[in-house]
Amino acid sequence: MDLNSVRNKRIFTCWLIAPVILFVMSLFIGRYPLSAAELLRGNSTHLNIFMNLRLGRALTALFGGFALGVSGFVFQCVFRNPLASPDVIGISSGASAGAAFGILFFSGTVSVILLSFTGALITLILTVLFSSLDRYEKSSTFVISGIIVHTIAQSVLMCLKITADPEKQLSSIEYWIMGSLNGISTGRIPFNLVLCIFCTCVLFVLYRRIMILTLSDEEAKMLGINVRRSRFLILLFASLSVSSVISLTGIISFISLLPAHIARLIRKDNSQTTMIMSGFIGGSVLLSADILAKSVSSSELPLSIFTSMIGTPVLIIYLLKERRID
Amino acid sequence: MNKYCIVLLLILSFLFCACGRSSAVSAAGNDQLTEDADRSVTVTDQTGRTVTIEGEPQKIVSGYYISTSILIALGLKDKLKGIESKAEKRPIYRLSAPELISLPDVGSAKQFDFEKCASLDPDLVILPAKLQDSAQTLESLGIKVIFIDPEDENKLTEAIRLIGKTTFQEDRAAELIDSISAVSKELAEKTSTLEKPKVCITGNSNLLSVASGNMYQSYLIETAGGKNAADELTDKTWAEISYEQLLKWDPDYIIIAGEAGYSADDILNDTNLSECTAVKNRNVYQIPSSAESLDSPVPAGIYGSFWLASLLHPETVSDTDFINSISSFYKKFYGFEFSKE
Repeated sequence: MDLNSVRNKRIFTCWLIAPVILFVMSLFIGRYPLSAAELLRGNSTHLNIFMNLRLGRALTALFGGFALGVSGFVFQCVFRNPLASPDVIGISSGASAGAAFGILFFSGTVSVILLSFTGALITLILTVLFSSLDRYEKSSTFVISGIIVHTIAQSVLMCLKITADPEKQLSSIEYWIMGSLNGISTGRIPFNLVLCIFCTCVLFVLYRRIMILTLSDEEAKMLGINVRRSRFLILLFASLSVSSVISLTGIISFISLLPAHIARLIRKDNSQTTMIMSGFIGGSVLLSADILAKSVSSSELPLSIFTSMIGTPVLIIYLLKERRID
Repeated sequence: MNKYCIVLLLILSFLFCACGRSSAVSAAGNDQLTEDADRSVTVTDQTGRTVTIEGEPQKIVSGYYISTSILIALGLKDKLKGIESKAEKRPIYRLSAPELISLPDVGSAKQFDFEKCASLDPDLVILPAKLQDSAQTLESLGIKVIFIDPEDENKLTEAIRLIGKTTFQEDRAAELIDSISAVSKELAEKTSTLEKPKVCITGNSNLLSVASGNMYQSYLIETAGGKNAADELTDKTWAEISYEQLLKWDPDYIIIAGEAGYSADDILNDTNLSECTAVKNRNVYQIPSSAESLDSPVPAGIYGSFWLASLLHPETVSDTDFINSISSFYKKFYGFEFSKE
């Protein structure tokens, strides 16, 4: 037991250091041959690229990945379902539809970010509204209304895609849906990053309530919390943090689902440490995926390819380890 | 061991067969046209299908803006009975053949409308090679169809010749081809010895998508006496790149695709690109598209290169040369006065 906890601590430290190392790597890897010497000398081109492009991208990958990892953990706890993720309540489809709308009718990155955030918010509000129609306070109601909203958002997205010009906007929409940090510059991220960090902090403050919600509703009520209100609050903040990230990055597969599983496989509990770890794993995976996306070829590759490629083997390794222990 | 050798030999011979066949098809695509005395013509279209047209087609349907443009240039607009979707968005129709805009819409490359097409009872249907899967459906409806695939100047020439042949307008087609190749030759003579500036053509959707070395746009740059900064890319469509990649290539000119939803000002004012040579020297321009987007392989596409050459090499190719030449081209083949705006 003692040995185990030492090992656990070591693993935890590893996952704590990993994002830091990856963050620094991300700052110095990219298509432009950036050199530290030129940076120190104050070369304006190098400084500009470093401050505007590299820093913004690395920060978004780190905090975005952290927030997505944590919110994945929260969703799974609150819905008591290992497959729950922000997709379940339709946020990502809403964000996609919003982004597609932005790509079709407006131009420029800023309007796409704003509209996809709006899209995510609208789906969130609709999900909450539909679920409040049910008099019983079951968590499955939330999932069902989530599926309804998800379906509506998907059909809106399809309508937008069919009107899109295949030569122009359709490819942009498809590309957005695969996720990318390309085009992010430091000036465009402050609002989203601050919002996502704030929401993630609130989630940590609400940790006790999240844990109580992993029990059955009756038990949770007996412990003296208002199940409906707590669930609403927690999901609101988790969704807000997810929306603020994906409106910047597009839809990234795996990132909000699997970090929590990996963290739980290592820690074997739902403690606060597991929640933090899930965030660190999310951050590490997103940072490494982005490093690959921007360096493998001359053209930018979508993030989702790499998040799945990095994430799934890690999960499989842990699953195999698990079996050996059993 | 022997068994493996035999298997290997078999695979190799199969590969050779496959190669042989594909080269035979492309050779046939080039120029294997045979004409019968009773005004029936057999052609091989650009997907390698053999089609026989009996009698001069009187009702033509075009499901592709490039074939529509070729048909107008060949003086066949009156025979067109149906055209592709979104015709109202193409200024060339408004300028040279406004009656086309109200013709029945047979769909686009994304969604071709077979029933509408059949209801027009056409003698000839011309479609992009992307739609070649629909050949069987159309043939089973008793409709003659040819596919064109004008990806570069040679293939455009071939497409023009093919359409000329099947519509019995070979002379006019030859005239059109001659005009195009004369311009192309003139540009090559004027620019081949000059230094080649680095040019990036950014795509219709956003400024971080560029034309790769495999695209028509790359050919356009080379004909204009430039070098595609994104040559190393091999994508078939616009490739997504990062600001950093663009800064690394550091093009001397950034050229925006004709139908892009953003303007030169968007690039000039983008702080992330302020260190780029093209932006510093304010060499950012949009391809003219007042009649047709000149970065597409339409008959007038060669003027995209002419226009670009007048930017890259103003000392040898002047803007007035460009305007005069394109005006007389449009006047002759499309019957309208060209203006840049």
